[in-house]
Amino acid sequence: MATTTASLTITSADLVGDALSLSSSSNLNKAGTTTGLDQTTGMAHVYLTATTSIDLFPILPASPAGQNKQSWVYICNKATDETHYVTITIANTIIGQLYAGDFLWMPWSQIAQYADIELAPSTAAAAAGIRVEYTCFHEGLTLPTSADS
Amino acid sequence: MATTTATITISSTDLLSDELALSTTATLTNAGGATGVTQTTGLARKTTSAGSAAAIQAVNLYRAGDYTANGANKVYIKNTSTTAAEYYTVHIDQEEIGRLYAGDWMFMPWNATSGTKAVFTVTIAATWAAGDTWEFDGVTMTAANSATADIAAQIDALNYPNWTTTYVATESTIIFNARYASSASEEVWVTADGTLNTAGNGTANISSAAVGSKSESDITIRPSVHTAMTYETMLIHE
Repeated sequence: MATTTASLTITSADLVGDALSLSSSSNLNKAGTTTGLDQTTGMAHVYLTATTSIDLFPILPASPAGQNKQSWVYICNKATDETHYVTITIANTIIGQLYAGDFLWMPWSQIAQYADIELAPSTAAAAAGIRVEYTCFHEGLTLPTSADS
Repeated sequence: MATTTATITISSTDLLSDELALSTTATLTNAGGATGVTQTTGLARKTTSAGSAAAIQAVNLYRAGDYTANGANKVYIKNTSTTAAEYYTVHIDQEEIGRLYAGDWMFMPWNATSGTKAVFTVTIAATWAAGDTWEFDGVTMTAANSATADIAAQIDALNYPNWTTTYVATESTIIFNARYASSASEEVWVTADGTLNTAGNGTANISSAAVGSKSESDITIRPSVHTAMTYETMLIHE
């Protein structure tokens, strides 16, 4: 069993009247257990030059291997131009925009077909080219069947 | 301008044959700029519970209509439970994002795409008398005199739980705007809830109306058990 830890710190001395110093840490476990997740896609780094929306992970089949299991997704916009953003979508519902340097960390249910996580660069980001890093920690992810088999 | 930073660290010495040590820091700024975000809900903490499993309800954490659409908003949610099997299911609109099990937290952007809010206009007309009443949304207006403009002003001055009002002085119309986006027909609500009691032939008719559309990205969480579970959440937003 692997032990993987995700920690978050949010700090600000001037956002509110009292200093903000939030820290949170958790081990990445299989759903409903204290057994650590033991699979990952590894960190991907892509350079995108089109506004086309892409699936970050293999397209979910009708009965995904990760359904009712636990998965975690990390995405980071590595752009340095503050106007360049990517839009993150799940199943045609926009979650939000990651601007230059922004990241997200969220669970992913893989509940059914079409609940894919998609990313689309903004027009300006695509024109200039934009780098994005992402990974998934999981206990099941259906890989596409080889067309050559 | 405030300076707020968020740092994520993901580490493992035994997940892979190589050590995993990821660390990323983001300075939270307004969309497309270098100006730091200046608003937050503050860190909230709340315990959910229900009388039975069948009575479990989702909790609406953030309504999109209350925040800037397409802003660089960030949502933090944590399940503080210590029972491994207990989780909150996080939804955006009707889409399930994922589950936060005991101790899990998430940090994600939120575009806060709202729907449109229903709107209607009420026109005060004909003969009113002091003491006449008009009731809507659980709020009652009692006319102080017979002047329709004054009655409209009185209606505007009241506080409605589900509506806000717009009124131009000396006119006899009041515009009602729903506080939240919804696809429900406001005419049904008004017809069902608006009650006029006038000694004369005073009227408070709806002279124009437009139906709203539902929000597309409210964030809700649903607990897995009806027994007490506690979550923490904070929104940092434009």
